[in-house]
Amino acid sequence: MRIRNLLLLLIFISHCLQEVLADQINNSEYGIRIMQLLRSEKGTRRYPDALPSLLATMNEETTSRFDTDPLYLSDLTDERLMENPILYVNCDDQPNLEFSMEERDALRFYLEQGGFVYLDAGIKASFLGSDLGHSYAAWEERPEVRELFDQIYPDQPFLPLPRNHQIFRTVYKGLPNNKDLKIEADQKRLPETVLDFVEKEKWPQGTYSFVGLKVKGRLACVASPICAMGWGKDEFGAWIPPISFRIRESADDFDEKLKLASFSGGTYEVVREDGLKDVIYSESGHRPMWVQEPKGRWRIFKYYSGEEISNYAHAFYTRLGMNVFLYALLN
Amino acid sequence: MVVEKTIGFEMKNLFLPTILGVVCFSNFLFPFNPQTNANLKSSNLEKENDHVAKPAIRTTQAETVRKASEDLRLGKEGMRVGAAKLLGKYPSLQSSVTLVGALDDSSALVRRAAMVSLAEHSSNGHPLYEKSLVEKVFSKLGDSDVEVRREVSSMIPKLISGLMRGGMEITEINGRKVYRSVPARLRTDLFELTLRSFLDEDAIVRQNLLKYHPYLRVDLPASILIRLLGDDDSGVMLAALDRVSANADHPDVLAEIGRLSKNPSKGIRLKVIDVARDSSRHHAGYRSILRSMTKDEDLEVTSMAAVELARFGERIPKEVISDIKKYLLSSRGMNSQVTTILYAVSAMGEDGMEVYLSLTEHSSSRMRAIAWQRYLSMNKTLDQSSTWMSALKDRDKGVRDAVIVSLRGRIKDLNADEVGELVASEFADVRIFAGQSMVLAEEEILADYGFELLIDENPLVRSTTLRAFGMRRPPGWIAIMSKSLLDKDYDIQRAAMDALLGDRELGVEALLKYLEKNPTARISSLAKSELYRLGVQP
Repeated sequence: MRIRNLLLLLIFISHCLQEVLADQINNSEYGIRIMQLLRSEKGTRRYPDALPSLLATMNEETTSRFDTDPLYLSDLTDERLMENPILYVNCDDQPNLEFSMEERDALRFYLEQGGFVYLDAGIKASFLGSDLGHSYAAWEERPEVRELFDQIYPDQPFLPLPRNHQIFRTVYKGLPNNKDLKIEADQKRLPETVLDFVEKEKWPQGTYSFVGLKVKGRLACVASPICAMGWGKDEFGAWIPPISFRIRESADDFDEKLKLASFSGGTYEVVREDGLKDVIYSESGHRPMWVQEPKGRWRIFKYYSGEEISNYAHAFYTRLGMNVFLYALLN
Repeated sequence: MVVEKTIGFEMKNLFLPTILGVVCFSNFLFPFNPQTNANLKSSNLEKENDHVAKPAIRTTQAETVRKASEDLRLGKEGMRVGAAKLLGKYPSLQSSVTLVGALDDSSALVRRAAMVSLAEHSSNGHPLYEKSLVEKVFSKLGDSDVEVRREVSSMIPKLISGLMRGGMEITEINGRKVYRSVPARLRTDLFELTLRSFLDEDAIVRQNLLKYHPYLRVDLPASILIRLLGDDDSGVMLAALDRVSANADHPDVLAEIGRLSKNPSKGIRLKVIDVARDSSRHHAGYRSILRSMTKDEDLEVTSMAAVELARFGERIPKEVISDIKKYLLSSRGMNSQVTTILYAVSAMGEDGMEVYLSLTEHSSSRMRAIAWQRYLSMNKTLDQSSTWMSALKDRDKGVRDAVIVSLRGRIKDLNADEVGELVASEFADVRIFAGQSMVLAEEEILADYGFELLIDENPLVRSTTLRAFGMRRPPGWIAIMSKSLLDKDYDIQRAAMDALLGDRELGVEALLKYLEKNPTARISSLAKSELYRLGVQP
């Protein structure tokens, strides 16, 4: 009898919560409010303007209406967590990813009741270390995230999202339009090598390395390499901060030459999309030098910067961010 | 490598019986020698590991750079490209010299790779410093390949320290050595090249030159600036707008800015406002441009132009203020542009208050909070609760907090209705504010509403009110405090204790009684130490 009553109560609470969430989604007066976890307001934040800028862009470019002021939560037991459908967490902005049991329970309840969690910088290749300004397409969640969700859903791992997943095409499909890159009909803004690598390998069809966790059959949590760095705009609508590209380049004799070339740093394994591992060669204090790919190919890392490259990266990350938030809202 | 390993393995196999024999014999002679046992183990391990491919032995850095330098000079095109790329990973004078040498390669691919590697050296903290080498790199601003020119133009800030070095040269005049200083400026031919590059056929090179020419101490001639202000590429146009100040008083530049103030791109028009504001000290015409822009079809442009004029102390016409209000009300929250305008509205004085008041209804909570704060700080009628009471009904705690901070200490003489409204609030923070206001409330109001707050569900409301009671000391306050010492909540106990300590006679007496009955209660040790400080022996 008691159990039946408890179940009835839980069903009732869940129904109420779903109604609240639905209300929030349809809230026409204020717009949908995105929550952002901010443990402490005193700490240094990497990209404080990123989320408001992204929400403003979504308001401009789609018919959706978001409140451009994120609701900052310092604790997941905050009752307002249950009032809003999407929680955004920039993992690099958190002092750590350790949550109390109450917070983990609240997070589980939130996910089970239809909430969506976006863990930006929830993927971070080991060779990046404490370097926060890099986005690298590894295909597994960072260890702290794995540890956290092991405590919430021990039997449910994060799985890579396939390139044809709906999340990559909710609003925008493919890479930013090449018209933005053209100066004249026969001239592009990006060097050919850069554009070729980006289109074919870095962000094929406008996708990126995402892993996701399903709760009750629904994709309820996703983790990605840091994307917020590509969302911010200044008062003239110009993108901030500048972003450069890391490109893999080959040459005729690299497969032999890089095997023997002088190197005194450390090597790091990074999981690829196909589950195999790249070996990254990196020297302390320097950017990563080159990579040994699992099929025996060796390529060197080259870095390209410039306004046009930065603008392109920003356009990509913003479209990706919009796709994620709108996917979360629609599914 | 592989051949060597195979031979080694075969050799070991060949001599294995002999080696094993020797090992067995020595083991027989020295059965307890741990060193020998370890050697045997390691020998067995080696034998096993010989089946696994060992990683190739890497060469030294000097050898790698030497080999790559050789490949860069003598290899085929593909090999030269690879060598140029590899040298980028080894910043040293030797590799830099080799890469600079490759900048004259017949292949554009090699030149590109060499230039990218030189840029990589700079990024890794090893910029070129030798003037002759840097000048060679900079001269590639005239390369036939657009990628090379782009790379050089974006490297200008990193080349400067080497490029602009002054120095000393020795010349011989009539057999006598003469020392002369070499000025820290560009070589004449490079100076000419820079001027030509302002009008390079590639937009990115033009844009980079516009950005970095001050580093090179090359002034941008007004005639070139005017051409670039009319550039087909918006990136170049924006970069040119950033360089107006040096030629701001030139009539043709002023005319060009006037023309750009009607440019179809909103981004350009917003930039023009920025330029006109900064240049107004050079020519009064820029203010006229700002005035004309207050009639722009886009409300954001209108608002920006108006607030800049207001900052100059100009009075803004009513219809423009109405446009600003419309713009801010229609914006969906704070972004940098809105923030700039929102704060700048203060410069409009009385007119600005009207704008802030209308924004207190905005959908964005941050906007409402700022609007309320600004409105209340400019308002002289805070004694009328109608000015601020609605703010305390805001759905967002952040807004209510901002308002309460603005009100605290600035309002007195709340009447019974006003206090009643605060006490009945659904928000605890407002009720806490009501509790705080009890400090100044009339006795009647304190009696009517104080007790209601003392039984509030929220402990903070109760403790705040209790502190107010402690300050006011209405009849029966000692009894209230004595009972509150028995409360489960520590904040309440603490507030009651503080209040009692404030009265050396009755209060301290009540506290002593409490300690007598409750010597081990949570608050008791603190109360005892506070009493000791007052010189009272509990």
